[in-house]
Amino acid sequence: MRRKLIATTMCRMAAESRRSQMLRGVLDLCLLAVVLDEPAYGYEMTRRLRERGLSTVGEGSIYPLLGRLEREGLVATHRAASDGGPPRKYYSASPSGRRALTEGVRAWRDVRSEVDSVLATIKAEVAG
Amino acid sequence: MNAYVEECRREWRRLGVPDLLAEEMATELEADLAEAEADGVAASEVLGESDPRRFAATWARERGLVSEPPPKKSRKGLWIGIAVGLVLLFIALPALALITLQSGSITTAKSQPPIQSLVLPNFVGLKACRAQRIALEAGLNVRKIRRPRCNAVVVAQRPARGTLIPYRQRKRTTLKLRLRG
Repeated sequence: MRRKLIATTMCRMAAESRRSQMLRGVLDLCLLAVVLDEPAYGYEMTRRLRERGLSTVGEGSIYPLLGRLEREGLVATHRAASDGGPPRKYYSASPSGRRALTEGVRAWRDVRSEVDSVLATIKAEVAG
Repeated sequence: MNAYVEECRREWRRLGVPDLLAEEMATELEADLAEAEADGVAASEVLGESDPRRFAATWARERGLVSEPPPKKSRKGLWIGIAVGLVLLFIALPALALITLQSGSITTAKSQPPIQSLVLPNFVGLKACRAQRIALEAGLNVRKIRRPRCNAVVVAQRPARGTLIPYRQRKRTTLKLRLRG
């Protein structure tokens, strides 16, 4: 019984680790996607991701990633007053960020399609 | 969470992040954490990192506000070297010991003075076959003693006991035994 519990926990940890690794490669695209049409401040981006079904828990903070996007000029920033709160730093996709997003999404779809064609034959039974 | 942000501030100061930018990041973080708390969202979902110093350092580094930390000198190579050295030592030590022993035995053999001569023992009183065996082992020639006379006793020998026989001439020396019985 205990051995089974340990095995289940190990499997879950491995799955989370794999998810984390896979997300790490595309989380920047997701951030660009949620500020493509409308600027957002940091927490608002987290909220938009969650609303679209992506929880970033366990994937590390978005702030370092936002910092990198800012440094690379893929996002533009400005400060603006928020609703009743202190002025916030808003992020929006810059023209080069939009291009990077387009290319990144194309690459992601290609990879996803290739991986899907390999894994399509596997019948995965999801337990629990 | 204020403590977390304060720790970040300290880390940015320590890393030399310009005050204006450090304050901008701290304010941004404080406001976001306050809003998340109001939403009932765990701070861990916003921060993703429980160690404020590491969080602050990563953020500042990604923004390009501090230089990349120098790559740590990998100790992997050192450990591999030590391991290989130990293995070689374990292999080499017995081999060395073996060589030493072998060379020692060779040395010992070489150091022994060459046998110059044999002193003929006393065969009188021994049974014939036993006397013959001793003489043959010493490299002497002995007249063959037939089996029926094995139990005969040596009553005389020539050369006599105590005779010095040059070692190189031992094969040319024939031991004559007189038997009785």
